[in-house]
Amino acid sequence: MANNNNKSKQKLLTQRHVMSRMNFLYQAGNLMAHSKQNTLAAYYCKLGRNVGTKSLMHMSPAVKRTLCKCCAIPLLPGINTTLKLEEKQQQQQQSEKQKHNHNLAATNSSKRRRRHRQRKRCSAEAKADAAAAAPAPAPSGLATSGVLDEHARMQLECVLCGAHRRFVIDAQNECWPERSAAIIQVVTLDRPTQTLMSTNVEND
Amino acid sequence: MERETETVKEFLTDLVVPHHRCNVNIIPDHITMLHGPKIKKQHSRKRRTHKSSTLNRREYAELGLNTLPTRQMRYEQALPLHRLWRGYMREHLDLEEGDELPQVHEKRYEEFSRQLVKMDLHGAKLRVMQSKCSTLVGLNGICVMETKNVLKLLGEDHKVRTVPKSECVFGMHVGNMEFTIFGQHLNVRPAERSVKKIKGYVEPFM
Repeated sequence: MANNNNKSKQKLLTQRHVMSRMNFLYQAGNLMAHSKQNTLAAYYCKLGRNVGTKSLMHMSPAVKRTLCKCCAIPLLPGINTTLKLEEKQQQQQQSEKQKHNHNLAATNSSKRRRRHRQRKRCSAEAKADAAAAAPAPAPSGLATSGVLDEHARMQLECVLCGAHRRFVIDAQNECWPERSAAIIQVVTLDRPTQTLMSTNVEND
Repeated sequence: MERETETVKEFLTDLVVPHHRCNVNIIPDHITMLHGPKIKKQHSRKRRTHKSSTLNRREYAELGLNTLPTRQMRYEQALPLHRLWRGYMREHLDLEEGDELPQVHEKRYEEFSRQLVKMDLHGAKLRVMQSKCSTLVGLNGICVMETKNVLKLLGEDHKVRTVPKSECVFGMHVGNMEFTIFGQHLNVRPAERSVKKIKGYVEPFM
């Protein structure tokens, strides 16, 4: 943002429409991805990204990373994306598991939790009151419980274009939609409730 | 180390004229050897051929992302999109429940209509009010895709129809408000529309 207060205010006003448009397109893309319209989902999200580039605005990185790098489809594990542990790490983990056999159960459950979190992140807007009702699982609790796969490498593979996205599990990391600051208002439409997120927009 | 110094000595004595060879005295301390074999050329990470992470136009088209099948999508599937769009429209145009639309003679009319044209149309229920082509008149549906010259409307009969923008006048009906948009204003690429300046006048075309 510009340093000058007046200037920044003006800029905010002009960019507000672009921001709301990007927000809308991101949400529309997620909506379409949930109803398995891959073409449209990719189209909306790509358009949202393009609107950002044209108007020199950035999505916040956490939101940007929920989209496929290649085809811009929203990556929803279990719907249009496969999520798996990377091979090398898996072998290492197995040897580790043999060492700490008693910790095995803990690992599995934490992995499941992680996966659940992942899915929740992606479908944050679709699940209406998820963000409001259920507070995000305390990341500190996860970290202190001695998670074995804390630094495991996970891989997301987009089914549509076959692009990979790798990431290392980090329980400390908080995604943008999980933060309370992300929700500016909850709008009730005719039937389903929907959570509006303040998008993605950060101006450097 | 020993063997190498021997080979060096041998090599040097070979270079000397044969009858002087007995005088050659090589002090082994003076021989400095360079250690290690020749370093293998390392493939630095930057150099490794790296598959481009983005798709080019052809690959994008091969995935079928540019084409929308005519009869695949149901009208009901687009309804949540329409609901989402209504929320977006309220936010974009700053409309509250029961707000009045500005009239032509009012001051804020111009600003309002500029914002109206800049709005995103994906998910809007549109109807063709007038057109140069008489068969297009009366078509209605939810807009699902937009390109520079064309809108794709998903009709209630679950069919996607392509409607050219520049020849048509579109009508939009939201709540108790009616909007009329001249297609000529929309003749910009969808990504650029929120940035580009828009001409205030329309060339008469009927």
